[in-house]
Amino acid sequence: MQERIRRVYVPMTETGFYILFCLQEEMHGYNIGQRVKAMTGGEVSISPGTMYGTLSKMEKDGLIRFIREEEKRKLYRITELGQEILGIELRRIERLYKNSKGEYQNGE
Amino acid sequence: MESKVLFRLWTITDYEIEEQFLTEQHRAGWKFRRYVLPGFYFFDKCTPEEVVYRLDFDQAERGEKTEYLQLYRDYGWEYLFEVNGFSYFRKPVEPAEEDLEIFSDNYSRLEMVQRIFKRRMVPLLIVFLCCVMPQLLLQVSQSIREEYVAAKVLAGIFLVLFVVYVCLFIHCGIGIRRLKKKYEKM
Repeated sequence: MQERIRRVYVPMTETGFYILFCLQEEMHGYNIGQRVKAMTGGEVSISPGTMYGTLSKMEKDGLIRFIREEEKRKLYRITELGQEILGIELRRIERLYKNSKGEYQNGE
Repeated sequence: MESKVLFRLWTITDYEIEEQFLTEQHRAGWKFRRYVLPGFYFFDKCTPEEVVYRLDFDQAERGEKTEYLQLYRDYGWEYLFEVNGFSYFRKPVEPAEEDLEIFSDNYSRLEMVQRIFKRRMVPLLIVFLCCVMPQLLLQVSQSIREEYVAAKVLAGIFLVLFVVYVCLFIHCGIGIRRLKKKYEKM
């Protein structure tokens, strides 16, 4: 993996994380926004300007791929590179959570 | 229908003031209809309403304006038009809509400031350094050497241009710093 991609995306912004996480399924921007709102009980909302910018950037960096267009809406899906980044991020968040509960990384 | 025209000038770093201005006009019962360069605002009389106006700067990828606007539409934003690279959107506050921003994190707000800087300030600086400055020096030296009125007039014009540009740079420079500071802190 390129060092630049890793530097930019790890650790991820909350917006970036939720978008990438949602795109394990094929979705368009507004879909993602609605899903994130439902998942977080309205605590995280991603506005259209932020959504558009993040999707464009992730597509350029190869984390997600444009699949098809449906009524002028672009549907995306995560790529292998994206999946790899998401995995790194998930392990990091898990570690944070464990540590915050007083647990050590190796289950001690 | 009753309507009115206002004249107003603003520069790239004052887009938040522009949003505020249009929101206040709508609150007072004036709905923004049209803009004509260099600064004529056409309004139609309407029932006073809480409607927020928001500006995005040159974000749509090339050939993707339709998809870009569809995303905003999905979120309930009405697109008005584009002026100088700024896309104008508006959205009524009711019904109990909490999402009245087009950017939800400071990272994307800062990116917009950077886009403005790169695509507006940098070209202006290039024009200034490669055209206004050399022309000013040339015309001034010529008007000193020659007695023609035309040479003096030209030198005068470039002097005025020079002052306008410098004022603009100072204003925008301060504006960009202010915006950056604000979003980096939040």
